[in-house]
Amino acid sequence: MEMVVVAPPAPGRIEDLRRRFLATPLQALLSLVSLAIMVFLAWKLLNWAIFSAVFTTSGGPEACQAAAGACWSVIAARWRIILFGLYPFEEQWRSALACVTVVVMTVLSCIPAFWTGRRIALVWGAGTALYYVLMKGGVLGLAYVGEEAWGGLALTLFIFVTTCLIGFPLAICLALLRRSELPWISRTTGIVIDSVRSLPLISILFTFAIVLPFALPQWLAGDKLYRVILGSALFFSAYQAEIVRGGMQGVPSGQEEAAMALGMSYWQRIGRILLPQAMRNALPATINQFVISFKETSLVVIVGFFEILASGNAAYGTGEWRFAYVEVYAFIAFIYFVFVFSLSRYGAFLERRMSVGER
Amino acid sequence: MSSLLRNQKVRNTLLQVLFVGSIAALVLAGVAIARRNLAEQGITSGFDFLHKSTGWDVSFSLLPATANDPYWWFFLIGIINTLFLGSVGLMLATTVGTIVGLARTSSNELARLLGRTYVDIFRNIPLILQVFFWYALITHLPPPRSAHEAWGMLLTSRGLYIPFPNVGGVAMALALAALIAAVALPVWLGRTSHLSQPVGERLIIQLAGTAAALACAALILIVGRLPDAPLIDFPALQGLNLRGGLRIPPEFSALAIAIAIYGGSYIAEIVRGGFKSVGKGQVEAALSLGLSPWRVFTLVKLPLALRAMLPILANQYVWLIKATTMGIAVGFTDFFMIVALTINHSGQTLEAIGILMAGFLTINLSLAAVFNRINKAIALKGNQLRG
Amino acid sequence: MISANPGQSSNPAVRIENLDKYYGTFHALRHVNLSVERGERIVVCGPSGSGKSTMIRCINRLEQHNGGRITVLGTELNDDVGNIDEIRREVGMVFQHFNLFPHMTVLDNCMLAPMIVRKQPRAEAEATARRYLEKVRIPEQALKFPGQLSGGQQQRVAIARALCMQPQIMLFDEPTSALDPEMISEVLDVMVTLASEGMTMICVTHEMGFARRVADRVIFMDGGEIVEEAPPEEFFASSRNERTRQFLSQVLGH
Repeated sequence: MEMVVVAPPAPGRIEDLRRRFLATPLQALLSLVSLAIMVFLAWKLLNWAIFSAVFTTSGGPEACQAAAGACWSVIAARWRIILFGLYPFEEQWRSALACVTVVVMTVLSCIPAFWTGRRIALVWGAGTALYYVLMKGGVLGLAYVGEEAWGGLALTLFIFVTTCLIGFPLAICLALLRRSELPWISRTTGIVIDSVRSLPLISILFTFAIVLPFALPQWLAGDKLYRVILGSALFFSAYQAEIVRGGMQGVPSGQEEAAMALGMSYWQRIGRILLPQAMRNALPATINQFVISFKETSLVVIVGFFEILASGNAAYGTGEWRFAYVEVYAFIAFIYFVFVFSLSRYGAFLERRMSVGER
Repeated sequence: MSSLLRNQKVRNTLLQVLFVGSIAALVLAGVAIARRNLAEQGITSGFDFLHKSTGWDVSFSLLPATANDPYWWFFLIGIINTLFLGSVGLMLATTVGTIVGLARTSSNELARLLGRTYVDIFRNIPLILQVFFWYALITHLPPPRSAHEAWGMLLTSRGLYIPFPNVGGVAMALALAALIAAVALPVWLGRTSHLSQPVGERLIIQLAGTAAALACAALILIVGRLPDAPLIDFPALQGLNLRGGLRIPPEFSALAIAIAIYGGSYIAEIVRGGFKSVGKGQVEAALSLGLSPWRVFTLVKLPLALRAMLPILANQYVWLIKATTMGIAVGFTDFFMIVALTINHSGQTLEAIGILMAGFLTINLSLAAVFNRINKAIALKGNQLRG
Repeated sequence: MISANPGQSSNPAVRIENLDKYYGTFHALRHVNLSVERGERIVVCGPSGSGKSTMIRCINRLEQHNGGRITVLGTELNDDVGNIDEIRREVGMVFQHFNLFPHMTVLDNCMLAPMIVRKQPRAEAEATARRYLEKVRIPEQALKFPGQLSGGQQQRVAIARALCMQPQIMLFDEPTSALDPEMISEVLDVMVTLASEGMTMICVTHEMGFARRVADRVIFMDGGEIVEEAPPEEFFASSRNERTRQFLSQVLGH
């Protein structure tokens, strides 16, 4: 008699739910507790944020304060200061455009078609230049706006972009120095990298902002903003150097030997054989580092920069909106969340795709 | 000459000398210029300033401190503050992280969802924003006269006041040691027992140890009571302010809570990673031996996951200790803030920065050394393991 | 089988005199003396750890020798970087694990070095590359990536890649040891063709059939020394040294 293979009957809906959530008493308890927590939090949150919230500015701050839920009118009233800081009102469209430039630049960097050294350098170079021209002006008929007036989200993005732009090549240099066969060079670099990594970022920013002018001749001291960016880039590069070095260690030594046997010079070997493969290995960790770096730009508030956190503090300030700190912080948190979450999700996606490719 | 430059060995030596030489030159030049600039402002170099009194106050200190104390005392207080906040933050973060991490690895989908939501939300918001938020929240609480009250504890905008035993400093320290022993004893006793001992017996020994330590602590407190004072000091309103009890300042609470929540989200991921790395084969072997799921967890999954987690956890702890420097944003006088205030008030910039770097390098190296020892002690022996 | 005249001439392709190499305190090569004429085919065999790979890796400076002299094509191999570059251009190497560049196509693998080291224009490099890929009998794989080829195909590409630099000497470091048995012959066939065209070859291998067919001299190394060196008939039929005979019985026995 022929054997006919039949699929087992699919479990009914109720059976399925029972199996997944109520299999044992412990499971049932866990499911119930989790469900209770989720429902409770969701209800409280939705109630506060949406159902009882005030969205319009008609009543002004007093009416808003009296409301039981969130007071989102503070955002409607103060969003300009949060996003652009003290940037002149008529020129704020330039600030907005500059932010869009950064977003476009980041998105382009994530597309594999752009993943050669030359193209990435082009994208980041052009993007940063465009950003700078838009923000600072003074050319092409745009009014001049000095760095002191830069603030809010635009300043956060600027610090992030320049930190990565300076920090990344520096990281590659440090990684190459660290793996040098010459003992003095590799050990000294190792000490530098490890020391920088041991220190808190805040102390490095503080040192560069306040202490460094003492140790530099007058003509080299420069603007506080650029000193702080340099400090931030140094910190970034110390961590990124270790990531790149890890990627390099994942490239089999035979690759460099084959390149040597073919007569390639040191820089030819590094540029065409070692780095492309190393960066491919290090890509997920690199994206993670970029995400961390973006979050850490918020620390410059401590050395007195009017980036988005400081402008948030100013937005609710001590005036009529001082009760609305939760809404302001939630708004800023949301902005960070959007950037950071999308970047880290992309990183996770890349990691999964790359591990699938490996045999 | 040119043939000399084409020599590999000559090139190598030259490169090394140039490299180290330029770095040394840069550092020396920087120090020289800084010294000259500072001297122009009438600030002398050297560490004598450490014995001068500061003339300013700290906002938080476990040890007595006044404006008349010397700088070196304040630096010590700063380090203790950093370590104290760090330890409290670490413990809270580990607790939170373990719970969320276990939720993330549980077989229950709802628990997993809850855990994932927690991690996704709190990992993606910068720590300093969270610190600001909690600080704003606490400082917007009602003032002392209209404080929230529960079980003798008072929650106000000036901080959390809790009833505290009225005992001398020495007794306090001893009682604290006894409390730590109460927690550490079961772990220690569990470590040296064997599987051959029945579970019930082991558990009784561990509980007995904890009970003994707790009894010791209580005894010390009772004996160490300050004369003419009740055993427990309850905070009460006197005039416009609260007096008595232990005040936990808003800065400390904000930092501790933020570090606990943010650090917890990272630790949750580390816990999850640790459990994921436990080989499926090991678990299957344990199950096929007839062990119950709970035993599989405690005897196989947990020990192996712990060994995988430890190096990454060590890294995270180092990061969390460094994160205490955010105290300066809310006015908590940790080690870094005291260095910053020192530079502001005394102008001894180079020396203070040197002390700062030395301090953090020491903390990091010690932490790394401790974790290395723990790692070595619990590491799986031999190197023949495959897969 | 062309047999060159082994013997000292005034201008050998490779001359190794009293070569010494230490790894820490381990004496890997002990006073090795070897002279290879142009057009000669040398096969080096021996147990693992005998120093055979180390010796040929010294020839293109992948390893640095500690004592003695190596002269390649008249140029002494020492610390002079100019000399090292010159020698590497003229000496090609094929590795046990192929070492193809995984992020480039087969064609790019072959074109890269001629373009950036010999500064050849792209069209010329591509023509050379296609010619050599034809020679190793896989011209149709030109645009594939190394990861998409079998082991035997990858090793043939590796040989083509080395040949594209048009070296005067080819070094082979156990070229078939990492291959599945059914792919060994396709690689050996290419090497035989190369030998028949007069290429100077120094080949470290366990493939004794290949040695018998192609070699002018077979060299047995053990413990860092050259124990015996002789033309293949003499080597296989009537080796003079006990160690050689022992090794041969192990290798040829199965």
